[in-house]
Amino acid sequence: MEGNFFQIKGDIPDIAPDVVFSIGSWPISNTALQIVLLLVLSISFCALVIRRFSVEKPGKFQIAIEGLYESMVTFTEQLSGSRQKANEILPIILSLFVFVGVANLINIIPGLTSITWDGIAIFRTPTSDFNTTLGMALAMIIFIQATALTRLGVWRYLGQFIKIKPLIDGFHQGFSQGMTALIEFGIGFLDIVSELAKILSLSLRLFGNIYAGEVLLVMIFGALAFVLPSLWMTLSLFFGIIQAIVFGALCAAYYASSVPDAKVIPK
Amino acid sequence: MEAEAARYIAKGLIALAMLGTAVGEGYIVGKAMEAIGRNPETTNNIFPKMIIGVAMAESTAIYAMVLFFVV
Repeated sequence: MEGNFFQIKGDIPDIAPDVVFSIGSWPISNTALQIVLLLVLSISFCALVIRRFSVEKPGKFQIAIEGLYESMVTFTEQLSGSRQKANEILPIILSLFVFVGVANLINIIPGLTSITWDGIAIFRTPTSDFNTTLGMALAMIIFIQATALTRLGVWRYLGQFIKIKPLIDGFHQGFSQGMTALIEFGIGFLDIVSELAKILSLSLRLFGNIYAGEVLLVMIFGALAFVLPSLWMTLSLFFGIIQAIVFGALCAAYYASSVPDAKVIPK
Repeated sequence: MEAEAARYIAKGLIALAMLGTAVGEGYIVGKAMEAIGRNPETTNNIFPKMIIGVAMAESTAIYAMVLFFVV
């Protein structure tokens, strides 16, 4: 920490999170601690606040929470296209909205990142750690593909990617249809790659936005420590909310595009 | 040329990726606004699709940012 009156020089945060302590050989990083804090906060919020909501006499706070919930539900319905699909995926998508949103915004509470243990801050924004976002994206894509697998059955699921049957049918119809089917066959393999790319782009988008925001904040503090950082912090609050919406929205859209309706598929 | 100098030139070139992403996102949002202006009742229908489109266009910039840190 050095610099003159107008500039506050700080350290640019590492990409890897700091390990606060370890249980046996299992390292506990500061992002993991903050995830635990978030879980405790959200569970106690549900247990202590939501329980007291009443149907007869709704308070102002209850109306605000219910309005937020309603808007998230209609948003998910618009994304997934149908009411039924929205109902299937609603719990997981709303959890993603709330978790990513609160995780992006909670470090705006002053002093939370100043709590240290052996010189290491014990709380750090979970989404600025690539492990968190990769874990979430991986879990979501595996969940979506597993649901598609159970709905379609093994052979039809594999048939989405390895299109042998359309290839044979195409060559039975004629040469030009056969060549088109051959191209489709190649595109089927590209779909496997695109599923892997979905994991990477989903996780890197969230991580990149939040981490770049933190790095830029340190740089702006180094350039001019008055007024300018507050503008950037306002902007990063906005980005935090937008990224939470985008993460949930993309998961809902991927679900709607890869998983067929439960009714349409004959058993 | 020293390796460090080449690295800085590469980082500068990677920053040019912002150009394409900005054009793409501006086009998407502009077209969405145009559509909403023509038919304001479709706002609720267009807005989520616009968000998804912008997020897709943004992923190229995210790839560039990852390259920026890797180089």
